[in-house]
Amino acid sequence: MRGRHYLALLLLVVLALLPATAGGAPGRVPQNVLVIGRIIGDVVSLDPAEAFELTSTWIDEHLYETLVEFSRDFTRAVPGLATSWTVSADGKAYTFTLRSGVKFHSGNAVDAKAVEFSLRRAMRLKLQPAFILTGFIKNPEDVVAISANQVRITFNQVMPEILMTCVLSNPVASAVDPALVQKNATASDPLANKWVAENDAGSGPYVLRRWTRNAVIELVAFDDYWGGRPRMGRIFVQDIPEPTAQLLALQRGDVDMVTDLLPAQFVQAAKEAGLVVKTSPQFALRYLAMNVGYEPFSRVQVRNAVKWAIDYTAFRRIFEDQIDIGQTIVPARMFGHLPDRPYSKNLDRARALMREAGFERGFKAELLTVPDPPLPDIAAKIKEDLAQIGIEVEVKVLRSADILAAYRARTHQMVIARWGADYPDPDNLATALADFDARVLAYRNQWDHPIKRTVQQAVQELDRAKRDAMYRQIQKVVLDEGPYVIIGYPLRLLAMRANVKGLDPSPLSVTYGMWGVVKE
Amino acid sequence: MWAYLVRRLLLALVAISGVLVIVFFLSHIIPGDPIAAILGPQAPDYVIEDLRHRWGLDRPIPEQFVRFVGRLVRGDLGTSIATKRPVISDLRQFFPATIELATTAIILGALAGLAVGIISAVAHGSWLDHTVRFLSLIGLSMPVFWLGFILLLVFYYRLGVLPGPGQLDIFIARPPSVTGMILLDSLLARDFVALRNALGHLVLPALVLGSHALVGIARITRASMLEVLGQDYIKVARAKGLAERTVILRHALKNALLPIITVIGIYYGGLLEGAVLTETVFAWPGLGRYATSAILSQDFAAIMGVTILIALIFSLANLVVDLAYGFLNPKIRYE
Repeated sequence: MRGRHYLALLLLVVLALLPATAGGAPGRVPQNVLVIGRIIGDVVSLDPAEAFELTSTWIDEHLYETLVEFSRDFTRAVPGLATSWTVSADGKAYTFTLRSGVKFHSGNAVDAKAVEFSLRRAMRLKLQPAFILTGFIKNPEDVVAISANQVRITFNQVMPEILMTCVLSNPVASAVDPALVQKNATASDPLANKWVAENDAGSGPYVLRRWTRNAVIELVAFDDYWGGRPRMGRIFVQDIPEPTAQLLALQRGDVDMVTDLLPAQFVQAAKEAGLVVKTSPQFALRYLAMNVGYEPFSRVQVRNAVKWAIDYTAFRRIFEDQIDIGQTIVPARMFGHLPDRPYSKNLDRARALMREAGFERGFKAELLTVPDPPLPDIAAKIKEDLAQIGIEVEVKVLRSADILAAYRARTHQMVIARWGADYPDPDNLATALADFDARVLAYRNQWDHPIKRTVQQAVQELDRAKRDAMYRQIQKVVLDEGPYVIIGYPLRLLAMRANVKGLDPSPLSVTYGMWGVVKE
Repeated sequence: MWAYLVRRLLLALVAISGVLVIVFFLSHIIPGDPIAAILGPQAPDYVIEDLRHRWGLDRPIPEQFVRFVGRLVRGDLGTSIATKRPVISDLRQFFPATIELATTAIILGALAGLAVGIISAVAHGSWLDHTVRFLSLIGLSMPVFWLGFILLLVFYYRLGVLPGPGQLDIFIARPPSVTGMILLDSLLARDFVALRNALGHLVLPALVLGSHALVGIARITRASMLEVLGQDYIKVARAKGLAERTVILRHALKNALLPIITVIGIYYGGLLEGAVLTETVFAWPGLGRYATSAILSQDFAAIMGVTILIALIFSLANLVVDLAYGFLNPKIRYE
């Protein structure tokens, strides 16, 4: 009898629990609240002087503001905290006039002193993204508040407006509330990096309400935002690390949008009623690199034989149409893009080039890739294609840490990698992929070509038409002689409920602000 | 008893030190670059080199080890390269979530495993026994992540009777952190809304995690009970006319408990390490995900912090199990 009592008690507990835990009806997120399911484990710090990961810089774009921003077509600067600017005769110094009446979330004014303090702080902290500033501004003292609402920044080189915008629209150049920094500074941390890493000192359209690591980030609309209060009153970014769990939460209506589905799951979501998948281009590359330091790849004929042996049409299929196909290093839609696509699978031509290089019997090569889908499939397809011209590829699927170590040490032979533009200018890609002296990708693949001089000149060229021609020339040389097979330009996909509108992702790697989003 | 305890603690210290030395050198010897992994392919080389210097990773490995031991002696586990926080803060944040999940899972697994094992032993050779053993085999071979998805699909997505991923609904405020465990913290704060919600979130991951323990405990319970049920004193108990329930629970089970307790201890230690797949499927912010991310990014300080914690857990679990023997069997003496 007593046993039955215990059973009844247990049943009561379970029944009492159920209503409290039930998921509820689909679409239960309130109308003025947006819930995003996403992997947020990469958020290390929200201090704009330190944030360098995809999610943290994306969150910072909601919390902080910069002097200037890019126009939608990335061809010019548009006002941010600065409403206007002038440039000195030598093209190096910019003077910005600040918007009046802008407040930090604390209520303090965003003035010239605050901008001067913020940029100097980021440069003095010397954390990961600081190089974006220090690469173009020699000393912190080169940022000067010359009046209450004017700041002058002197760069270390001639700065075309587009390049100035690249530097100053980056989150690392955000205005941070000096009063809050000073209030939370300590002897060992005089610039309050630890405090700003976990708190909000910004003036952006949203205020950070809470951040629980590996769980949730909550933002609330800033009532006094100079651009008007955003329509979404609250935004939750919920950590859901598993793509299948993200999809289930979206289907059930517990989240409005998810960002990390697998390619096949995006296809599935696109077919479901009540869900939509938004596809947008990105300024990013997926490429196969050949290390010129590995003897066979030191011959341009071998590199080009690889380019002629590959079946490019398979890439789109393997990526489930979630990639734009192209063969030049500047992605489509970016200024200076060269749309040439000369290579297609032509085994006769590829074999002839192998013969010409003295490798008619082929050779062995190791291909590194990370396990992220569908890259192992891409690697397998490349292995199959190259076997047809005698190149015996051994595919090694490794951790990103191992691949990056080998890539930086230049000990790889072939690697499948990705490059996302840090700023929307062809200089970013040209410098990385074609300028050996910059010690980035051309250096890692040991490809030292005279075209690097053109890359170094193009960045300082003020004439837009001349710049365009220079970048087209650079791309042509890389296409004809370079150590890269461009697999394509990956697209960004976001799966969301059909009532979410107004999202307009930019092709930059992280920029898709939620301040324009509404739910119908 | 006290001498035994001190000796065991000293032995545990030696074992933990050995584990630390091995893990430190292994994690430093394998190829890979933690700074490059964290900063990604686009950070310039000079930034990588600067950070490597700042974190002391450009020093010889033996020197890094000496520094690590020096810090450890002062109670400092170092700072995680990935989270930029003291490892102790990270462990303090992520371990309570794992304790909560692992404890619930082991309670569920142990209760159900004992029940299933006893039933199976008592009904030895019957269709019930065969069915239970068959189901145990299936349970043991079922991948944890697959079971997790199936349960999410049925109870969260289809039926909507249990909540989805996470430790707490995002709309519910987390109670003030005292222990770091949401259940205890919400009890302490008398926040029964958070308590009910957190309990609901705990059900599915605890079931998934507990299922493997259940199967293991059921198998050992069955085997141990079968051995005891064949003993003479059980026949005597039955001959005395004791009720069958009394014979099974008081005479047989108590004597069969020693190996069962050992297995429960081992399982609990294993669950406290953090179950990465369960934590990933259910978005549980626990130690398993932290440890995996540390390993993938070669975050040395975090790897060592987790290693120390796991080694401590196993040493303590073994000690508690050994001490429990004495309570269960008064014949056992600690010398």
